[in-house]
Amino acid sequence: MTTPFLQIRGLRKTYDQVVAIDHVSLDIQQGEFMTFLGPSGSGKSTTLYIVAGFQGPTEGQVLLNGKSLLEVAPNQRNIGMVFQRYTLFPHLTVGENVAFPLRVRRRPEAEIKAKVEKMLELVHLAGYRDRLPGQLSGGQQQRVAIARALAYDPPLLLMDEPLSALDKKLREEIQLELRRIHQETGVTILYVTHDQEEALRLSDRIAVFSQGKIEQVGTGEELYERPTSRFVAGFIGNSNFLPVKVEQMGSGRARAVFPNGHAVEGAASALAAGSEGTLMVRPEQMRIRPAAAAAGHGLAVTVRDMTYLGDSMHFAVQTPWQQEIAVRMAVRDGQGLSIGAPAVLEWDAQHGHVFA
Amino acid sequence: MLLDFDRLGAWRWGLIGVGTVVMLFLLLPIVFIAALSFGDSQWLVFPPPGWTLQWYQQLLTDPVWIDSLLTSAKVAVIVTVLSVALGLLASLGLARSTFFGKSALQAFFLTPMVLPVVVLAVALYAFFLKLGLTGTLTGFVIGHLIIALPFSIITIGNSLQSFDPALEDAAMICGAGPIEVKWRVTLPAIRLGLFAAAVFSFLISWDEVVLSIFMASPTLQTLPVLIWSTLRQDLTPVIAAASTLLVALTIVLMLLVSLLKRGTRS
Repeated sequence: MTTPFLQIRGLRKTYDQVVAIDHVSLDIQQGEFMTFLGPSGSGKSTTLYIVAGFQGPTEGQVLLNGKSLLEVAPNQRNIGMVFQRYTLFPHLTVGENVAFPLRVRRRPEAEIKAKVEKMLELVHLAGYRDRLPGQLSGGQQQRVAIARALAYDPPLLLMDEPLSALDKKLREEIQLELRRIHQETGVTILYVTHDQEEALRLSDRIAVFSQGKIEQVGTGEELYERPTSRFVAGFIGNSNFLPVKVEQMGSGRARAVFPNGHAVEGAASALAAGSEGTLMVRPEQMRIRPAAAAAGHGLAVTVRDMTYLGDSMHFAVQTPWQQEIAVRMAVRDGQGLSIGAPAVLEWDAQHGHVFA
Repeated sequence: MLLDFDRLGAWRWGLIGVGTVVMLFLLLPIVFIAALSFGDSQWLVFPPPGWTLQWYQQLLTDPVWIDSLLTSAKVAVIVTVLSVALGLLASLGLARSTFFGKSALQAFFLTPMVLPVVVLAVALYAFFLKLGLTGTLTGFVIGHLIIALPFSIITIGNSLQSFDPALEDAAMICGAGPIEVKWRVTLPAIRLGLFAAAVFSFLISWDEVVLSIFMASPTLQTLPVLIWSTLRQDLTPVIAAASTLLVALTIVLMLLVSLLKRGTRS
């Protein structure tokens, strides 16, 4: 197997007594769109800054094409970066901002001119070359920042929450642009965000950060369908967490018992028999039926609320131990249910995950 | 707002009255001096019986006045360059780093602003006498630099405050080395602050009189010193002409600053 394009090895960063990141390790393939997803303070930005060179790690190594990046000064690393804040140089025109990294590299004038034209076309801002950054909208400024970061064909593009200052509509528009730019240029992207929807929309793979560590790495589908921890399950998508006790355990599947004695078979689990845990099921993977039609199968619940959402129905149901659970179903499947009526809650065994 | 001018009613006329009186009190002497410098009365009669440029002619042909004017200009230019250069380094250091005693150092840099100039002048005079610096250009420059530097540090420091250091990070990741980052990004971004610091430093040196009196020798004196010493001997309209020149340059520079500020805002 060939060496991975970018290797992050056992990174650790401490400030005085505070541990910002702890043994973060990750391999990234060439051309991959990798997103660091996590709440603020989870260490995702710190990891990115260490790759950029703004901070040095307390321990660990970063290798690009097998060579250490840490010994290279940030201005020699030849990495592109787009920041959270607008960082266009205010005294330079859009064209000169894009030309900046090329001028610093002392490239010939003709090459600079051609490259600036090409980059501005890439971000669909060809007519804006002579404007000043102050005359552009926030979205346009970030597109110029992307053009500037890609002007010198860096092998790696770092993006630190570049869309967080933009409104929702603009954000979605630029997300589409980013996918296109990634496909057209083939550049490897490390992208930091706290927005799970943005991460799912953009990334080939996502690394979920929590409290300075990577909780899980995988494609969006893997993280959603097979989360390995309660944190990942709760951070990506909506989820219900039900208290259970693991009774029998075999080949990664458990028999889980609820507080009222009802039991389900076949939930994915890594817990030992006899331990207390939480069973996670997504709202859209649950079904409810009127109690009369169910004849004793499933968990007995009471319908507390139902909301019509056009493409689906949202139900709030209450368990015998007074916990409220969210269920989402197609509108036609919700027939025969009414608020206050007894019902039965079911789901396919493989959709249940037991966490500690 | 608590006090809205439009809602003051009759009070506003009182306010306008007080404002006008203060304005006249401040500006009339300057207008008066400027008018006298063009009047043809030897005895500074006001209003002048006729108009003439002869006092300016006398001023610009007398080698003593010319020398002092050149000395003033020379000192002011050197002080301006040094004050901006040192002010830039000091405010960069203060803005970008955290170290023990930083706020103490900041306060120390600003002490010349609050220290009575006379005290500073006497101290410097005694010190420079020992070093043989009184009556030299170096003596003037050091003295003026001490009182100009705080203004430079404040002005440049303020423009650094509104400058986002992330711009430097962006320039660095684009491939620019530390010096190139400052030269291509930081300095252009704070150029207005640098210009304002230069103008303030120039003006502080240009019309400084207390320190200069202590530093001056019969052969080397600045324009304000010469005005002051001439005034003690006789009352000639040449003084009015010299003062008017002093004020005129000040006004021109201040106008330049506000024009530039308006230009970058639009």
